[in-house]
Amino acid sequence: MSLLKTPAVVLKSRKWGDADRIVTFFTLKHGKVRGVARGARRMKSRFGSSLEPFVHCDLVLFEKPGDTLYRISQTDIRHAFPSIRTSLEAITGAARLANLAGAVTADGDAVPRVFQALLEGLRAVGESGDPVLTAALYELEILRFAGYLPHLDRCNACQQRTNGGTWFFSPRAGGTVCSACVRQEPVRCPSVSPACLAFFRQALRMELALLPRLKPTAAIRNELYDVIELYVECVAGRRMPRTHGVTGEERVPGRSGWAGGKVAEKRPVYRSRAAAHV
Amino acid sequence: MDRNGILDELVRELTSLPGIGRKTAQRLAFHILKQPSEDAERLIRTIRAVKEKLGLCRQCRNIAEGELCDICRDPTRDATRVVVVEDVTTLHALERTGGYKGLYHVLAGALSPLDGVGPADIRTQDLVDRIAQSKVEEVIVATSPTIEGEATAIYLSRLIKPFGIRISRIACGVPVGMDLEYADEVTLIKSLDGRREI
Repeated sequence: MSLLKTPAVVLKSRKWGDADRIVTFFTLKHGKVRGVARGARRMKSRFGSSLEPFVHCDLVLFEKPGDTLYRISQTDIRHAFPSIRTSLEAITGAARLANLAGAVTADGDAVPRVFQALLEGLRAVGESGDPVLTAALYELEILRFAGYLPHLDRCNACQQRTNGGTWFFSPRAGGTVCSACVRQEPVRCPSVSPACLAFFRQALRMELALLPRLKPTAAIRNELYDVIELYVECVAGRRMPRTHGVTGEERVPGRSGWAGGKVAEKRPVYRSRAAAHV
Repeated sequence: MDRNGILDELVRELTSLPGIGRKTAQRLAFHILKQPSEDAERLIRTIRAVKEKLGLCRQCRNIAEGELCDICRDPTRDATRVVVVEDVTTLHALERTGGYKGLYHVLAGALSPLDGVGPADIRTQDLVDRIAQSKVEEVIVATSPTIEGEATAIYLSRLIKPFGIRISRIACGVPVGMDLEYADEVTLIKSLDGRREI
């Protein structure tokens, strides 16, 4: 019976049986793991609030022979990020980060830098005056450390450099494509303005701690959210839970400037190796 | 067991109920088999009556026999106060205390940004319509102190504040009979935030 001891962040927690919970953790040493916490929903449970989503804790799990889930033995809170719980925008931002970290990593696959980016993102979202944007920027960081950094300095199909003109973001190609190559794309791709591209590059160059200083305009923000949402879904290989409806966040549906999606009828081949495990 | 077709079918049906495994289902099936026929008939009649006669209350979405539930029909209840809960089981837990004499409103769950559960999924508009059409003066949000419950409470406060009525959240903190030294930090912060003058 092996015992695992590791720092972890709670990604998701759902009710199970009468008083139990099944909790998904993203751990520093063992990647994504799931465990059962017996009696966690009872009033006097020893787990208290440590199994609530977004809590950073020291986790002790043990394996039970013949059981596919770990048993959660002990949890000690390191950071509970209480400020996240005070704002709807912060809760949805943190949820996006947790869902992304879960989607781009496979079960049992430790990715310490994704773990650090997630932790840093949760802290930043809790403290930010603009949690929606902060979460979007940290989504880029998580993608970067998971190995899905979008390439924005050239056309990812013909390798032409991005100098002026209209550019599009192809989630399948993993970055920008030129107006000629976008016609060959099997899925429709949103156009990205030069200002949005510049903002993207700046965000990807900056240190994690400095990211919340960036303040894009509403137009860039809309483009940014469209592109990130599309790319995240492509990488994850599935539709991610929508959060706009919860916060009442203003989005521009059906923004003009989409192209592609005419050549192939078949579904694009997603690159995610983690998709099958999520 | 496999040779007894009908009994095996009963066991299978009972196993589909929550919290009942095969062993328990077998015990229940044998108990039903040994029971006098009248007892089994009574059980069948009750299950059928539950399915045929019970529905959701038009006003609060509690379980009701008819258009309105017992609570909404009771004229002695304080119609100016409404407690909002996530599900019917929470309503019954609150009713068991006997300490609340107002009305209720049952949502269809809680908001969950992690699972993509939005306001339309939990039917928040029903509550807004009810407040707009009735003489409610206070709404008490009694959702669980989980991240989903907190998100629901914040969302409801945004929806209801424009009506100019009082909106409050049930207190969160240390359970009665617990030693403070064993309370975790989130619970302690919540209990400090929700302190009251004595």
